[in-house]
Amino acid sequence: MIPAEDTLVAATMAVWESVEGRWVTGNRPLGKGRSAGVEHDRSATAAPGEFMAWSARVSELCHLVETLAPTAAALGAPDPAAAPWHGPLFGKLRPQVSRSPLLVVAVCGGTNTGKSLIANTLVGAEISRSLPEAARTRHPVASLPRGLAGRIELAELFPGFTPVAWADEDDALAATDEDRLVWREEPTGSQPERLVLLDTPDIDGTLRDNWQRAELVRNAADVVVAVLTQQKYNDAVVRDFFTAAAGAGKAVLVVFNMVAWPQQRERIAGWLATFTAETGVRPMAVYAAPHDFAAAEAGRIAFHPLPELTPDGSTLGPAERLAGCDFDRIKLDAMTGALGVVLDARTGLGTWLDAYEQAAGRWRQARQLLAQEGRVRVDLPTAPREIVWNEIWKWLEPRRSGFDLAVSRVYRVAGRGVTWAARRVGLARSEAERREDFSVVELAALKQALADFVERLDDACRRDPLLAGVLGPRLESADRAAWYADLERRHAALPLVSEDYRGFVRGELDRFARDNPQLVGWILTGLNVGAVARPAITVGLGLAGAAAVPAAAATAGGLTTLVHHVGDVVVGTAATLAGEGALGLTAAGLKPVIETLFAGWSAERGRILAETLHDVVLGDRLAEIDRLAAAAARPEVARARRLLVESARGAGRA
Amino acid sequence: MTNEPSENAAVEPDFAGFDQLVTGLARWSGGLPDWPPAARVRAEWEQVEPRLERARRELSRMLVVGVVGGTGTGKSTLVNALAGADVTAAGDVARPTTVAPVVVAARDVDLSWLPVDAMGARVVRSDAPAVANIVLVDCPDPDTQPAATVSRDSGAAPRPSDANRNRELLEAVLPACDVLLLVATAQKYRSWIVACEVQAFAPGRPLLFVQTHAARDPDIRADWRRELESQGFNVPRIFRLDGVEAARRAAAGLEPEPGFRELTTAIDEELVGRAARRVRRTGALDLAGWFARQARRQLGGLREPVAQLAAGVAAERARLEAILARAVGAKLRASRGAWQRLVTDEVVDRWHGGPFAAFLHVLAALGALWSRVRPGGGLIGRLLAGQSPATAAGAGGWQAVAELGLSEAEVEQSRSILAGLAARARLTEPLVGRARLDAARVPATAGALLERTGHWLAAGIDKLVTARRGRAGGPLLHWIFEGLFGGLLAAVIGRAGWKFFHDHLWLGRPMDGGGFLQEALVWIILWGLLLRWIVFAVVRSGLDRDITALVGRLPAAKLVDPLLTDFADAAARTNAFLDEGDRLGREADALAAALDEPAALGRLRGGSS
Repeated sequence: MIPAEDTLVAATMAVWESVEGRWVTGNRPLGKGRSAGVEHDRSATAAPGEFMAWSARVSELCHLVETLAPTAAALGAPDPAAAPWHGPLFGKLRPQVSRSPLLVVAVCGGTNTGKSLIANTLVGAEISRSLPEAARTRHPVASLPRGLAGRIELAELFPGFTPVAWADEDDALAATDEDRLVWREEPTGSQPERLVLLDTPDIDGTLRDNWQRAELVRNAADVVVAVLTQQKYNDAVVRDFFTAAAGAGKAVLVVFNMVAWPQQRERIAGWLATFTAETGVRPMAVYAAPHDFAAAEAGRIAFHPLPELTPDGSTLGPAERLAGCDFDRIKLDAMTGALGVVLDARTGLGTWLDAYEQAAGRWRQARQLLAQEGRVRVDLPTAPREIVWNEIWKWLEPRRSGFDLAVSRVYRVAGRGVTWAARRVGLARSEAERREDFSVVELAALKQALADFVERLDDACRRDPLLAGVLGPRLESADRAAWYADLERRHAALPLVSEDYRGFVRGELDRFARDNPQLVGWILTGLNVGAVARPAITVGLGLAGAAAVPAAAATAGGLTTLVHHVGDVVVGTAATLAGEGALGLTAAGLKPVIETLFAGWSAERGRILAETLHDVVLGDRLAEIDRLAAAAARPEVARARRLLVESARGAGRA
Repeated sequence: MTNEPSENAAVEPDFAGFDQLVTGLARWSGGLPDWPPAARVRAEWEQVEPRLERARRELSRMLVVGVVGGTGTGKSTLVNALAGADVTAAGDVARPTTVAPVVVAARDVDLSWLPVDAMGARVVRSDAPAVANIVLVDCPDPDTQPAATVSRDSGAAPRPSDANRNRELLEAVLPACDVLLLVATAQKYRSWIVACEVQAFAPGRPLLFVQTHAARDPDIRADWRRELESQGFNVPRIFRLDGVEAARRAAAGLEPEPGFRELTTAIDEELVGRAARRVRRTGALDLAGWFARQARRQLGGLREPVAQLAAGVAAERARLEAILARAVGAKLRASRGAWQRLVTDEVVDRWHGGPFAAFLHVLAALGALWSRVRPGGGLIGRLLAGQSPATAAGAGGWQAVAELGLSEAEVEQSRSILAGLAARARLTEPLVGRARLDAARVPATAGALLERTGHWLAAGIDKLVTARRGRAGGPLLHWIFEGLFGGLLAAVIGRAGWKFFHDHLWLGRPMDGGGFLQEALVWIILWGLLLRWIVFAVVRSGLDRDITALVGRLPAAKLVDPLLTDFADAAARTNAFLDEGDRLGREADALAAALDEPAALGRLRGGSS
């Protein structure tokens, strides 16, 4: 089968030996089932290291899958718990690879096929109540060999179950949501020392919880006793259940129950042929149990061996057969079978990692779509010029000569008079009115941009179901009126000239002055020389400013930057605000500085919208999308792939 | 078909009510095809309707009874026992035994209406009394075909069951069945797959429940009843029999066993003759009721979103109206000059004769000249300048609406909020538009808004002006003012006349020159202006209050409705759809409540998961 198997066998043996030794000092508790043929000490010195690596890989794989699972669920990747490799990995390999080699035997089958009666008969005591109604056994019942309960942690051996000590036969009938494992030590000591036998709930009834519990037990089992009847041996769900058992390398003991004996004896070969062809099961033994209601009630089920259908032709009864089989060989087959399922090229863990990465790839595309769609042009109105100019004048004030200041003060008063007159005849608005007008138009532009943005998000969601999944609930259930209220609130709270902006202006101009000392000197000279000509400039600035500011395009330039930055901020890639990238001084001269100052001002206005989008409209959803889009690159995926390759090499499958 | 005589009103269902219900459901389900939830309801209706139609059309043909159950439960054995002969293969040799459905019917029955080919069925004739008046179908089992979700990869070896299509065959047969005879054993009565199939086909199909293998298995009927009831079935009765034994006795010509006899008696009593008509009607009514319940369950979650949308439309309408009212009020109040002109024009028009009237006319003419130099802007300015609403409204566009004080941004905000609420109610294009009205719709929408506003404002201004004109319109006030103005005029003229005739002409004193008359003219004009100011003060007093009252009536005029019509309409239509669905559901429930339960036939109540 597997080339490296011999090494593995030896390694496993050696480790199990040492584990056993730790458990029971002095007394080597070898069960009656241990075959004498296994050479315990063969290469025992070298192999444990390899075995330890094997076991470490299993537990690390489990840990990686558990780490990735929440992200996988968010990505929409297949649920690992539903994958065929999950049970063998988590239910078989992890709990059993480094523990005592107990042989787990599970009695499985459809509703009302007599599982509990057969389990009772095999144990030789009524551990599980048998009732005429179907699907009454709700929880598995384990019969443990005497003395075992104190030595093992059942909860770890059977992950997912809460162990409950057996009180009476009705324990397993309790209808609880909790997955229980009812356990009982076999009192007489006749049960082989390392053999655990379980009765399981049904696998085809209307209570799906029962199926799941039966599957959990099957995953942990080494030997499955398949209880079949002439009604159920070819039911699809029954076949699926045992196909999985055979695929995971478990030994199967077939019992045809409720057979009209001996009339139906010759039918059984045909039934079994169908069953094995469908499921791939290679039964280690086949039995027929006659339909005898009274005998069954009394716990006296007769198992008729069918040597003609049993590979070794043995006529031993099922209990003797189980007690006498090679525990370690079966255990090892079950372990390597489970590993085979995990490593399977078509359905194994590797395919789940593929699906995980594909799902993450879809999220990357979704993120890209959002980055493309999530940009809006904000048509902010042209700012009242004096807002920025006032700041520039304020900076210039201490740098100007006394004469210039005096002249400009005179003309400022005169200019005010002209402005007042113009306002009275309806040709001009006051500064406060203009600011008010600007504020109204600006808020309208921001609201339109918000409406536009939300609509783009709606469209993106319609195009991409993944985005709809993440953003849809927010877009649909959120109170959109609150978004606009938030925007209004932020807008009202932001003064036309904020302290931040003042600092920005000072910083820019200081930098400019440092870099171009002559130019500032020239401007100041110019201001002094041109003091007489200034009144028109002051009034012009106050009224329209267009003539004095050769930077109408600069504002637009700043806006474009801003728009890009709104988009970027929102999509979370370049988290810088206020167009810093575009604000660097590219050329000496006053014009770029002024452009910069105007652009900076507009950027600060637009930041309101960016903040509303980020804080209120999208909330944490962007971070979530970013996280999912980046999920494929997580180191756990690559690590899991490497571990799979190493495991395959270790198992001789590379 | 509603005029069929109802032979026994106590037993027969309410046929007229049923027909009305079906017509109602048909009309209702197609009522809102653009709304996805309604479209889904419609798609389901299209599945249900042919069956209801057939029930109405084929009221008197015999019933098709489908024998269903898991493999190995003895369906074929039971069919053989009922047919009194081995008409279909039965036994324990292989599972599944039946791979093609078998239709059993009496020799003389015309089966042309039964889609035998589509069912892939084989027809067998039988003379047995049990099948004399029904058509029996031995159905394939649902539990041996692999689940569709288990897709086998190409690398694995093929299995015999890959070719098993029994469940698909079953699903092709069941639509033709009127009644289901569900067969189960102790091993299979809790089978999940069988339960799924029966659930899917039970609506509108009465059921007979039969436990077989009575000779070997314990009696599980009490537990089966619990299970069926938990799945939503009414279970009046479960038969228990042994098919093998029944077939043996039938073949040997022996008296049938009691369980089997009970079943054949029930078939005769409940499924044959007039009872068949009732079964079909009851089944159809059950189906209609089931459909109505399903639809209501699907639509139930949309009630709240639809109500929220309607509330949202009301809230946004109020918000926009408040903005519009505020802006319109401010504009009206700010147009002091225009009001004055408008009101005085009225007053001046009414006052004729007399020097004061002439004085006012001259001033009005001068004022009109000035207003022509600087006409008022916007709709309100134009209306106050005396233009007709149609001319004043001008070309529709956001510019004109914005002049009124309602910006495009506010409208988009409202529409964006409503689009969110609409999306919750699964309302999207084309039922509702986008937040930003598309360019093609803007002129019509804005035009409608402007026109409405223009008419409403024009009417309001007219009324206001008329009321004010009344205050100054009386002849008494006119003549008082004429007297006051005319008095000064007369005094001046009298004094000038006295000076001229008496002093100059009679006494021969020299003339004063024009000094007196020039001064007098100044005083007359000042006096006239004072009087005019008093007239206007009388007319204008309380104008602000009246403007506030006028603006307060703005919501009643529904001016902003054109901006949100699509959302308002969608909310109203979906709400009406939900209401009608509820009404039909209640109607179906009432009809179903009026039915009396058949003695042996089970029904799906619909309370299931």
